[in-house]
Amino acid sequence: MASNNKSSFLTPSRRDVLKYGGAAALSMPFVSRAWAQTVEINMLAWYGHGEPDIVGEFEAANNVKFKPKYYAGGDNMLGLIAQSPAGTYDIILSDGEFVQQLNAAGYIEELNAADYNFDDMLHDDFKQFPGHWADGKLHSVMVRCGHLGVSYNKNAVTAEEAQSYKCFWKPELKGKVGHFDWHLPSLGMMSLTNGNGAGLWDLDDAKWAAVKETTMSLRPQAGGFFDYGGTFNSLKNGEMQAMCGIGDWITGVLEKDGAPVASVVPKEGGIQWTESYCIGKGSEKQEIVKKFIQYMLSPDGQVKSAQMAAYPGFAITKAGRARLNEVDKKEAERTGQVDGMPNDPITLIKEGRIHYRDIPKQQSLEDWNDFWSEYKNA
Amino acid sequence: MTLERGLTWFLRAWVGVVFVFVFTPIIFSLIFSFNSQRFPTIPLGEFSTQWYETILADRDVWQAAWTSIIVAVSTSILATFLGFCTAYSDYRYNFRFKGAYLALILLPPTIPLIIMALAMLAWFSRIGASGQVWSIIAAHTVLTAPFAMAIIRLRLSQMDDNLEAAAWNLGASEWATMRHVVLPFCKPAIVSAACLCAAVSFDEFAIAWFVSGLNKTVPVVILEIVTGNIDPQVNAIGTFVFLTSMTLVVAAQLLFIARAARGMKQGAET
Amino acid sequence: MTLPAKKKSFDLYAMTWRLPIIVWQLIFFVGPLLFMLAMSFFVVKNYRMVEAFEFTNWERMLGRGYFWDSYLLTLGLASLSTIVAMVIAFPAAYALAFKVSDNVRRWAIFLLIIPFFTSYLVRTFAWYVILAESGVINAFLGYLGLGPYTMLNTKFGTLVGYMTLTLPLVVILQTFALSNIDTRLVEAAQNLGCKPFAAVWRVVIPLAKTGLIIAALFCFILSFGDFVAPYYLGGSKPPTLPILIIDTTKSGQQWPRAAVVAVVMMVTLFAVAYAALTAAYRKRGRT
Repeated sequence: MASNNKSSFLTPSRRDVLKYGGAAALSMPFVSRAWAQTVEINMLAWYGHGEPDIVGEFEAANNVKFKPKYYAGGDNMLGLIAQSPAGTYDIILSDGEFVQQLNAAGYIEELNAADYNFDDMLHDDFKQFPGHWADGKLHSVMVRCGHLGVSYNKNAVTAEEAQSYKCFWKPELKGKVGHFDWHLPSLGMMSLTNGNGAGLWDLDDAKWAAVKETTMSLRPQAGGFFDYGGTFNSLKNGEMQAMCGIGDWITGVLEKDGAPVASVVPKEGGIQWTESYCIGKGSEKQEIVKKFIQYMLSPDGQVKSAQMAAYPGFAITKAGRARLNEVDKKEAERTGQVDGMPNDPITLIKEGRIHYRDIPKQQSLEDWNDFWSEYKNA
Repeated sequence: MTLERGLTWFLRAWVGVVFVFVFTPIIFSLIFSFNSQRFPTIPLGEFSTQWYETILADRDVWQAAWTSIIVAVSTSILATFLGFCTAYSDYRYNFRFKGAYLALILLPPTIPLIIMALAMLAWFSRIGASGQVWSIIAAHTVLTAPFAMAIIRLRLSQMDDNLEAAAWNLGASEWATMRHVVLPFCKPAIVSAACLCAAVSFDEFAIAWFVSGLNKTVPVVILEIVTGNIDPQVNAIGTFVFLTSMTLVVAAQLLFIARAARGMKQGAET
Repeated sequence: MTLPAKKKSFDLYAMTWRLPIIVWQLIFFVGPLLFMLAMSFFVVKNYRMVEAFEFTNWERMLGRGYFWDSYLLTLGLASLSTIVAMVIAFPAAYALAFKVSDNVRRWAIFLLIIPFFTSYLVRTFAWYVILAESGVINAFLGYLGLGPYTMLNTKFGTLVGYMTLTLPLVVILQTFALSNIDTRLVEAAQNLGCKPFAAVWRVVIPLAKTGLIIAALFCFILSFGDFVAPYYLGGSKPPTLPILIIDTTKSGQQWPRAAVVAVVMMVTLFAVAYAALTAAYRKRGRT
């Protein structure tokens, strides 16, 4: 199991980069001077996007160095940008639904649509993802996505049970249901549980009250609220037998590591997380950042994203998917990224079973967050 | 008397239990750092140095180490200077509001780091200095100066009150006395204070995490790995942090703490 | 001390030593804390903080049931941590102070300092693995046919984390406190027929009172402000005040509300510290 993980961790190409880095590191006193010559790109992203398995090749080819700052959740991202001087971040990886806010606050640059090959996208929605365009102007380019649903330990929950969010309430799971500690995905799932379907973010007072009630009824089952690392570990070591608010982006890594966990999109529907690149307002490195975004959308970049050590994401271009099927058939099949497979993510979207994660329509993020605090303290 | 002896053995065994508790996580983190599993469980996987290889080859870790060294060294110089000034003022002078004056330097360690972190980041953002390396240095100096002050003050209290006065009577100016009498006397305390401040700064993560922005220190990298893609690299990094800090502490111990303890004991006995 | 009285209007030499810390602490210590207090009255609009003087944050935070739940929980956990640490540490400190040679004591203190220089985060992470359901302890208990017991994501886990942070310090401080008392008084009490336990209770503890209270106070302060143990070992279930601060800063730049929590925590700590120090330095009355 470990060697399997290791091979995905240390690809040959990375090894070369590492050797180079190791050699540089040994000559400590000269290091800072040597690095000063390479262009540093400040990146704000979810964990893992600035790690060598993603950016290593690009760094070596272009003599740049990514300096990542990681966040968890869109609210967190907005806070980090707000407290930094303008122009701090050159490239921002945002959740799709938060691009709007970034744009409204004037944190990101306008992009030139001609720079990116939208025709190659696997789904029409990806070309015009909500909020990425405003008044005909492009502000962000989608680069990967993934689906959230029921994540469970196969020893505790059967595949049939996992077909509904109701399985979280299974008596045997008392104290064994974990939450990813962010209100949007968990409350979104509660809304789906209540049968709100496509209207899951558009809740009037009655529906919002009902969602709160459903959520509160899950509280005795809840075994903990975890960040990224805690979610990994508690699923892996069996502390938690099911997890609300995540999907294959976590269980996929564990599955590859040999843990008996899986994620499915249940009958009430699943949620899609979407990650998009933006260029930070006032960045002086826009050209190279643009080149990097193009690289991530290229077939090679898409394969890297699909195999990302931190968490996998779906390829969103046709060429990317084709390349993934060529070089890593196993991962393509594991995630359904093969044309014609019944759990092909694109098919799921077309069947209407997937809802893009969004911000609440009738309440403010603050209301949701407030309730989340209340829930955690209940 | 058998009760007495039984009690003595119970107490010594209890010390053993406490030590087992204290050292269990330290020893296990060392074991895990050589364990091949990404998510360490029992039984252990095979022996492996892959985590050390990973961090040695990771430029981000090296960069963080470099930042940490800059921060620790700058902090120790500043904090030791400020600590010395304050310790000497306290030793030599009586003045109004001296209680408040001493509180000003001694209070910071009693305030939870998370609160200091929040206040510091808000303040630095306000004055447009967030995310700078020097803002971590400033914050760490506030945090560590009291330790420097305490160590140096302890040393000063061992100095004969009449030593300075004798130098003045011999015609030396206050400045010259400081240079030729007070500073040499305090030298071991100053060096060990500097070592301790550096070690504290090298390990501090809460304030550094809030204030550092893109200039991460080693403990911030550890925190990011623990909250992020958790893996046993943290144990390997932890081993290095431990070795670095211990070197500083042992240096401090050899230079001063042992000597001070002996001096105090002699003082108490006479 | 007999020093020549200085009556200069400005004593450059004295001020060289006295002023640096005042200036430094005003800019980097008092400044941030006062700003935090001011910030608790600011408002947030569109993820940006706007300077204002409004009580909305205070009303909102103090008006929430969960805030007070969290407050009582944190207070309770920190008190529990203090009691547990003091009780566990006392026999060890007593042994180190009275039952071992000077050399052993020096080594013990030296060993107890070591944890301060290993990363607390790394130690917590090690506990995480040790306490897990598939971890070292449960594997061991499994051989004995016991368990598995859930220890992570419980208050027990949180407490283990607090002990990791505080126990070495408490043992050290208690040892110092006990070493400083005059053993002749204890012997005198025993010669007068006082049983060992009674001697500890009626002579040793009162004599070492100041040092013991200070040890407890440090333990309380550290536990009260720690976010690592309740977060990683307690599964933030439910969250303590430090976790609330982090959650609040994470969620959409709600710094003013985090500041409210921080100010409440500081006021609480000052009150506890004041009460503790008053008790510590109070002259003992007749017994």
